Amino acid sequence: MSAIQLEVLLQTLISGVLLGGLYALIGIGMTIIMGVMKIINLAHGELMMVAMYIAYVLFSTFHIDPYLSIVVAAPALFLLGVGLQKYLINPVLKVDSILPENQVILTVGIGMVLANLATIIFQSDYRQTPVSYSTKAWYLRDYWKDSPVDTSLSLPWTVSFAVALLITGGLWFFLTKTDMGKSIRATAQDLDAAQLMGVNVERMRVITFGLGSSLVGAAGCLFIPIYYIYPDIGGQFTLISFVITILGGLGSTVGAIIGGLILGLFESLTATYIGMGWAPVGRFVIFVAALIFIPGGVASLLRSRKLGK
Amino acid sequence: MKQLSLITIFLFLFGIFALPALAADTFDLVIPLPLTGKPAKFGEIMKRSYEIAAEEINAKGGVKGKKIALSFEDSTGKPETARAIVEKLIDSKKQPIIVGEYTSACAKAVAAVAEERKTPYLIVASADDDITQKHYKYVFRQNQVNAHYGDAVVSFLKEVVKPKTIAILYESSAFGTSGADAMEKDAASFGAKVVLKEKFETGAIDFKPLLSKVKAAQPDVIYTVAYANEATLIMKQAKELRIDAKLYAGGAAGFAIPEFIKGAQDAAEYVVSATLWTPQLNYPGAREFAEKYKAKYGDYPSYHGASAYAALFVTADALTRAKNWTPDAIRDALKATHLKTAYAPVKFEDKEGYQNQNFHETFAIQVQKGEFETIWPKSHASKPYVYPVPSWKERK
Repeated sequence: MSAIQLEVLLQTLISGVLLGGLYALIGIGMTIIMGVMKIINLAHGELMMVAMYIAYVLFSTFHIDPYLSIVVAAPALFLLGVGLQKYLINPVLKVDSILPENQVILTVGIGMVLANLATIIFQSDYRQTPVSYSTKAWYLRDYWKDSPVDTSLSLPWTVSFAVALLITGGLWFFLTKTDMGKSIRATAQDLDAAQLMGVNVERMRVITFGLGSSLVGAAGCLFIPIYYIYPDIGGQFTLISFVITILGGLGSTVGAIIGGLILGLFESLTATYIGMGWAPVGRFVIFVAALIFIPGGVASLLRSRKLGK
Repeated sequence: MKQLSLITIFLFLFGIFALPALAADTFDLVIPLPLTGKPAKFGEIMKRSYEIAAEEINAKGGVKGKKIALSFEDSTGKPETARAIVEKLIDSKKQPIIVGEYTSACAKAVAAVAEERKTPYLIVASADDDITQKHYKYVFRQNQVNAHYGDAVVSFLKEVVKPKTIAILYESSAFGTSGADAMEKDAASFGAKVVLKEKFETGAIDFKPLLSKVKAAQPDVIYTVAYANEATLIMKQAKELRIDAKLYAGGAAGFAIPEFIKGAQDAAEYVVSATLWTPQLNYPGAREFAEKYKAKYGDYPSYHGASAYAALFVTADALTRAKNWTPDAIRDALKATHLKTAYAPVKFEDKEGYQNQNFHETFAIQVQKGEFETIWPKSHASKPYVYPVPSWKERK
């Protein structure tokens, strides 16, 4: 392998890991909601869109850095999620209906309402937050002059990735070390048993939906310095998180992280070695392959190898 | 669903009562174009330009004493929606001429409907070559075909850059594909080898895998056909990877609108793009239109706007000359069009395998200090071109 080929491979792997880390954060939000609620939240991407617009407004009116706007957007999304769960989804859960999964359909509706509200408020313009560091990068050759390869590491991508890691770490701590986190996990594992042990299941549901929303909200703030927004952006991210959730195993946080990384790497490698036009095909190949060969997702593999809990 | 369709429904309900009274002294023209969805930005530029044109025409007394009453329908950039809108316009509203649409896929769908129902259709800014090669009798195109979009850029490459190798990146749409194919053919004409030709999906986030492949191939010129967002992301990420091609060139669309410079900032500097029109041209009315648009909306319009603006004058001209306002009479009048507009001289010709196609000059623009400057052909240049361009490391 020549140096130039090695450089292409390394750059591809770097891109894949950075993208995968961001994908993972989007996926985790959906998967914890899935775990506790047993429904797929199809408004997931639209919630991310809302957070991106919050970051955009903060940037364009108050010049607040998109990364700092996480502090505003994540709690705002938490409240939005809590509200949606409490006043829209919970009431529907209690109603018997002919459709078995009418909460899922409800989330589709919520997503549409959010997207169209955004169209009314912001028009369908593409918007960006042109931050000064958006094309800053570190280059290997700047640090090691005679390096045979010259790979680069984009500053905003790296920061986004690092913040995603931090948030994921924080989430792990919350879920394993705190009482409330343990209650959420208990609810996810066995609803009836959790209820018998005195866990306020309804409250856990509300908090989980809020938590999932604020995670994807944070992801939105991490995406906006490297991407752009328009009101219909949600769909593609709902799709990505859906694939990650299936790939990782429904409800598994560790699975979602690994699933996100796999998807990111897979997309990057497809783009380099097959063709970028094939990336969406690759995404669905992974989706179908996961359903057929590992129906329980990465989480089931971990469990059977006794690596997971 | 969308704000606009609500308004449309509203207007429609009122329209039932109001129309008979109004119909006498207005000519209703409903224009399908994308106002939401991905191509909405272009739809917006065009909508504003149509409105400016209608205002001017009406101020001068309208067409045969009738004022043009414009309204718009949002096709969201989806061919099936565009098709449905136009079917409705022709079948139930009996509109004798169709003007509008933006994406090539939509224009194709509309062209098929128009031809089938024998109603003239004036294409304003859809580039795919195919549309006017189908021996349609009722389909007219005012803008240049994709095969010629790059003419000015190609002659710039041929005479100034003289590249030995070229990489072509394009988005997987009708517009992107035909633009890339045209450049591949042109590359052979100036003796450059195509070292890489790759497509990508719209909405893609990370172009770095693709771009590092481009970097490894070390082409002299990187030619990209894309809409605004991808154009922005590609240039930003090319800067991140420090890909030092001798020249970055774009095939109009996303590289020729102000959003590109706003989004890509310094990464946009020195990028050369094909375009069909610039505000700096000395066509009659070009500068006036550009200034009027800028005064109203803050930015100069792109060629999409100029073409839309001119299209309404072409329509009004045809309506004035038509014997009566039946689709066939308007079609014959359009065919005989010979009009100097702010966009370009308009004349619909049958040649090179195209029918009812307006062939006009194209231009090359370059981003210099955050502004578009016309650089080629020299007779139209507003600033001299900057070539060779400094490498990424040398910039600041």
